[in-house]
Amino acid sequence: MSTRVSFVMGVSSLLQRRCLWSSQWRVRNYSVRSAPLPPDLPLLAETARISLTPKEVEEFTPKIQQVINWFGQLQAVDLQSIEPALRADTEGDNLRNDVPETFENREAMLSAVPSFEEPYIKVPKVLNKE
Amino acid sequence: MASVLFRGIQTRPFLLYPSALLSRKNGVLFCTTKCSQSQTATQENQQTQMKVSPRTHTKKVEKILHDYEAIIGIETHVQLDTLTKAFCSCAYLYGSQPNTNVCPICMGLPGTLPVLNSKVIEFAVKVGLALNCNLSMNSKFDRKQYFYPDLPKGYQISQFDIPIATGGFIELDLPTEYGGGHRKFGITRVHMEEDAGKLLHSGNGSYSQVDLNRAGVPLLEIVSEPDIRSGLEAAEYAAEIQRLVRYLGVSNGNMQEGSLRCDVNVSVRPIGQLEYGTKVEIKNMNSFSAMNRAIDFEISRQVDLYSKGEDNQIIQETRLWEEGAQRTVTMRKKEGLADYRYFPEPDLPEVVLSEEYVDNIRASLLELPEVKRRRYERMGLSMQDVLFLTNDMNVADFFDATIERGAEVKMAANWIMSDIAAYLNNEKLSINEIKLTPQELAELISSIKGGTISGKIGKEILFELISNGGTVKALIEEKDLVQASIPTLLIFMVNIKFIK
Repeated sequence: MSTRVSFVMGVSSLLQRRCLWSSQWRVRNYSVRSAPLPPDLPLLAETARISLTPKEVEEFTPKIQQVINWFGQLQAVDLQSIEPALRADTEGDNLRNDVPETFENREAMLSAVPSFEEPYIKVPKVLNKE
Repeated sequence: MASVLFRGIQTRPFLLYPSALLSRKNGVLFCTTKCSQSQTATQENQQTQMKVSPRTHTKKVEKILHDYEAIIGIETHVQLDTLTKAFCSCAYLYGSQPNTNVCPICMGLPGTLPVLNSKVIEFAVKVGLALNCNLSMNSKFDRKQYFYPDLPKGYQISQFDIPIATGGFIELDLPTEYGGGHRKFGITRVHMEEDAGKLLHSGNGSYSQVDLNRAGVPLLEIVSEPDIRSGLEAAEYAAEIQRLVRYLGVSNGNMQEGSLRCDVNVSVRPIGQLEYGTKVEIKNMNSFSAMNRAIDFEISRQVDLYSKGEDNQIIQETRLWEEGAQRTVTMRKKEGLADYRYFPEPDLPEVVLSEEYVDNIRASLLELPEVKRRRYERMGLSMQDVLFLTNDMNVADFFDATIERGAEVKMAANWIMSDIAAYLNNEKLSINEIKLTPQELAELISSIKGGTISGKIGKEILFELISNGGTVKALIEEKDLVQASIPTLLIFMVNIKFIK
């Protein structure tokens, strides 16, 4: 689930990144009007840890470009006098009290772990974070 | 050199140890993980600075200060002392058997959804207010995406562009042993996020092990402005953050347990140059004194390269502090900067604060260290005394309670800082655990002041009171310790003379 989701979200964040100039969190530039950048598919696939054959890269690039362009239509909207919304929903908060509860079926979770060496989850050796 | 009073409870009576510079006797007093008192940056410094010869160190530092300035910023992660994790109801108990404080949510199993712990917001607001920040009445969570074995979901829930607090400052006083001085450092931002699990590398190197107990534990990330100028200032900044979170009761702030972690960014530039130099991140410092030494080393390293015209060899990278070798080394170089592909967390609603909520929290805040220090100064105490008494909130409360009952300020301070502190150190106790009450300390002080008993007797009674409790009056009667006053003595002597 997570790799596919992160692939799609990677695409949408490409759009977002154009608004959040060079990952400097302080600056929000809403006045961008130019056409979106073509997607760098090998990079995108790498960050989502999905392997693509060169044929797939060639095939997918225009399709993803179309998705981006479809979202890009939103740039035609005049946002000058609009207060930025932080999020799409307006549901209000959903908070939990700070009261501990033990999950009853820990054994089932741990037995579903592909490689478990009591009491640790065994993973390949990874030295560097991304 | 004037005798130096070591700050904090962890030291031996100050009378025995002159100048900090000349005789760095290594105190056998270490803050074990059981000990709840904060060991200040200075004390740690003094314990380890034996390795560096004072004279060469000072010379080196002096040269650096003259030609270059260091620009230092610190990112601190504080583990919050909530009963449950940030987004699920798992308890977090440090030291539990691995993978026992887990549930589908913090293990990142498919189909799970996070639900925010309301306490996390409360603690974040407390810290934001204590750091004099502007609170964002509306903030949100974002996903910070990367792949790593200790990150079960493949992303960390954090706050990217709208953190809960921004634009604050923290004030502190540098220890008198190092020249003193008041400092004010800017705080760029404070935001909420979740911790990752723990990754352990196995001995033979072919695989690693993951413990997810810590995954999902709430963190506050506090980012300072690059206002810090030396290793000492950095260590004191970190110590003040620790003091603050303990005062607020939001975290135990133990670096040893990992409840307080600092990453440092260091760059240097020739004095007068406007542009910043290349900044280098340093990780793996496990104590305040390690931070101090790591930063001073890194400043020297960078200045050295500058002075040889090789400053282009300073690259933006992450270096690790090696405690054994006392130096920073390159981590394996990454290619390019990380791309975290931030986007708003769709599974969590906005965090909305009301004025009323914030006002209630503001009203509930107890007196913070900076305010306390200024109040003690106005009472006439020396800066050394002020720093000692305010380091641990329990000690300050004990002191306040004692003088509220009429005890003379300087005498109360002296008793606490010498005899009582010595006892606490020896027995590894906190001031809350002894049987002496502020009431009785005040009584003791007034008994000595009024001449009922001598100072020497006072010390004996004090020891008794600390270990066994009881009252001053009862002990005086019991041991028949009333000091003979001068007139009574003279009459007695005169009588004897007449009898003779």
